Amino acid sequence: MSRSPLCKPWEHTLTRRQLLGAAAGTAGTIGLGGLGGLVQPAVAEEMKQKEKQVLFMWIDGGMSQLESWDPKPNTQFGGPFRAIPTSVPGVHISELLPRSAKQMHHLAIVRSMCTQDNSHSAGVGRIQRGDPKNRGVTYPYFGSAVAKLMGPCERKLPPYVWVKPGSSGFIHQDAGFLGPKYGALAFGDGKPPENLLRPDTVSEADDAARQKLREAANRRYGELRRPLANDANSYVYDMAQTLMRRSDLFDTSQYDPRDVQRYGTHDLGRHTLQGLKMLEAGVRFVKVNSYGWDTHGDNFNGHLSLMDKFDQAFSAVVEDLADRGMLDHVLVIAMSEFGRTPRINGHVGRDHWPEAWSIAMAGTGLKRGVVAGATNDKGTFVDTDEYDIGHMFHTWFRCLDIDAFKVEYDNGGQPLPIAHDDMQPITAVLA
Amino acid sequence: MATTEELKARFAPNEVQQLTTSRQLHTLRFSPCGKYLFGGGYDAAIHRWAVEGDEPFKELPPIEGHSGWVQPLVFAHEAGLLFTADSWGRISAWNYADEAPEAVWTVADSHDGWVRCLSLSPDGRQLASCGSDRMVRIWSAADGTKQTELSEHADDVYAVAYHPGGEFLVSGDLKGVVKKWEIAAGKSVGEFDASALYKHDRIQDVGGVWRLEFSRDGKTLACAGTAPFGGGTVQGVPSIMLFDFDSGQLEHAMKLGAVKDCYVHDLHLHADGFVIAVTSGTPGSGQLLLQVPGEDAPFFSSTKMSNCHSISLHPDGKRMAVSATNRGSNGNGRQLKDGEYAGNNSPIHIFELVS
Repeated sequence: MSRSPLCKPWEHTLTRRQLLGAAAGTAGTIGLGGLGGLVQPAVAEEMKQKEKQVLFMWIDGGMSQLESWDPKPNTQFGGPFRAIPTSVPGVHISELLPRSAKQMHHLAIVRSMCTQDNSHSAGVGRIQRGDPKNRGVTYPYFGSAVAKLMGPCERKLPPYVWVKPGSSGFIHQDAGFLGPKYGALAFGDGKPPENLLRPDTVSEADDAARQKLREAANRRYGELRRPLANDANSYVYDMAQTLMRRSDLFDTSQYDPRDVQRYGTHDLGRHTLQGLKMLEAGVRFVKVNSYGWDTHGDNFNGHLSLMDKFDQAFSAVVEDLADRGMLDHVLVIAMSEFGRTPRINGHVGRDHWPEAWSIAMAGTGLKRGVVAGATNDKGTFVDTDEYDIGHMFHTWFRCLDIDAFKVEYDNGGQPLPIAHDDMQPITAVLA
Repeated sequence: MATTEELKARFAPNEVQQLTTSRQLHTLRFSPCGKYLFGGGYDAAIHRWAVEGDEPFKELPPIEGHSGWVQPLVFAHEAGLLFTADSWGRISAWNYADEAPEAVWTVADSHDGWVRCLSLSPDGRQLASCGSDRMVRIWSAADGTKQTELSEHADDVYAVAYHPGGEFLVSGDLKGVVKKWEIAAGKSVGEFDASALYKHDRIQDVGGVWRLEFSRDGKTLACAGTAPFGGGTVQGVPSIMLFDFDSGQLEHAMKLGAVKDCYVHDLHLHADGFVIAVTSGTPGSGQLLLQVPGEDAPFFSSTKMSNCHSISLHPDGKRMAVSATNRGSNGNGRQLKDGEYAGNNSPIHIFELVS
């Protein structure tokens, strides 16, 4: 294994050295889940057995914390809406989340997020990459990180799937330095990539022969080139093969109409329900996202409309995961790149606010029915310990039984931490 | 009908006074006696100013008792009552001319949530309300007893207005459906199509009928809002649709600005046949417009004020108040002033209409 001259402060601790010593010779763990060479085989095996999964609901543009998880009714910046009680005594959330309020006993809310970026262009990437210290490399999005660290679940479906409005494709950029193989397989409007499914005019045998030929050609091509791009290419084909056998995942006409109504017939509802089906089928990490939440103008009517759809989809999936016992091994995260300003601008909108905002979570590794952190009476700033996205990455990795203080990436011999070195998991929400 | 040049000569507003506020206002209304100006605030308060001749307006202690936002302000002149409603569902009636007004009656849960609009019947006996619970309700103006409930809207009801004849009521909703109700029968007898004021963008419902206003003769119904371009940061062209009330035909579709100008927040149909409207869009953009329907351009416009939200004509017809927004009201991230995180406010501009 090549050794990089780069190092980090924690490498000089006894624990770190012990770990590296114990981790020698584990390069073969990729087959167990794509783990890099610096992790103990026992850890990889444990991860595989638990088959933990993630549902990541990305609310693009910025959900207002004041119109969702941290209402401040009847205060200067509180807006027009009321707070309502939840299934957890003493915990109140916005009246725009009536269904989620009934699922509060499953949820863990962090109300003291304080992050670094107030622009979308930088914030989206920075947040989803965990905003680690700058080491001159582009870090992977959380979905790519999980795909790398945990690999596919046993059924070998793609480890990182993104159900989104708009177009389909393979979003290799999410993977950063991990290499394109760990990118997101995106299903635009929940539909499979074009021409994924085997046409009826091609027999199964013919298709298998074609794949064999492709694999042989790909091997020869790859022998003469850098491995990363070719690996990714082969990987996508392999994943496509597994997906072709699960065409049912895209046949939404087979969904129970009652579920369709419960989740909502809008994009977010349909995609969240499809996300649940993907989790049930064995996809490791499912990202579902909604666009159009950047409510600089007409924020309150906007949230009145938008939150209704989010509430419908989010509460339904949390309820279903709980009913099926899946919250024991699925981590649910609902968040944006930041919150929205307490100050109400002249367009009756709220602007970008990374200073004090909220994230909602549920599921494996988390306490249920808890709220961590608090903002001040006006909701302007955090009144308790501030949590950055690095704290969240540590927390999420802990939920997935990945010790972010031991497991690290191997970037061509350069060991890199998987979460911000100076931050810790939020113990107040950890089970 | 006067020419636009004549109208400009007679009505071009001239600002004579500006009032400062510490909070943001939604609605501004002169009392019918002309002695008071009231403002419904984002701070749940009803702000008040005394108006005496040409003297500077004198701020009075606000009326407390509401929650959330106070949006509608409606007067019963003969009864001396001010009706107010808030975003938490409360409607109250106040003896507005009292030094410290007390609520004459209150209905705490008139609607489940945001009460968007109130309208008083021409005889002063009934008060209509509408809200985010998709309901239109009619109350006794004297004591707040509920009289009728109209439940045919499928979406949030934003605006309601009595026809000057008293026989009909109209209500407009998020999707641009304007229903015509025959009050005695308690049923809808027709609709006006204001769906141009609505758009479904991604998963967001954008726009809606924000204001309904009748001409004094009851022949024309104005529906105001925006012709939406998109959601998120809502953009659209400020729009007023003028319908012939009897036939339901659209007579004029007034476009009052660019996409950045967005909403007509408030309007007044002047007895001399023109429309006074205020608009608010992208932070910093605001318009005061006086325009004759059918004309291509306003005979007066001002963009000096930022994000104008409400307009009220004094009963003497010679003065007008416009609530706007302080400059620099927007901005991402931490913006502290003298170490404090400051809120915005609504400066009130007082105009004379007679040159």
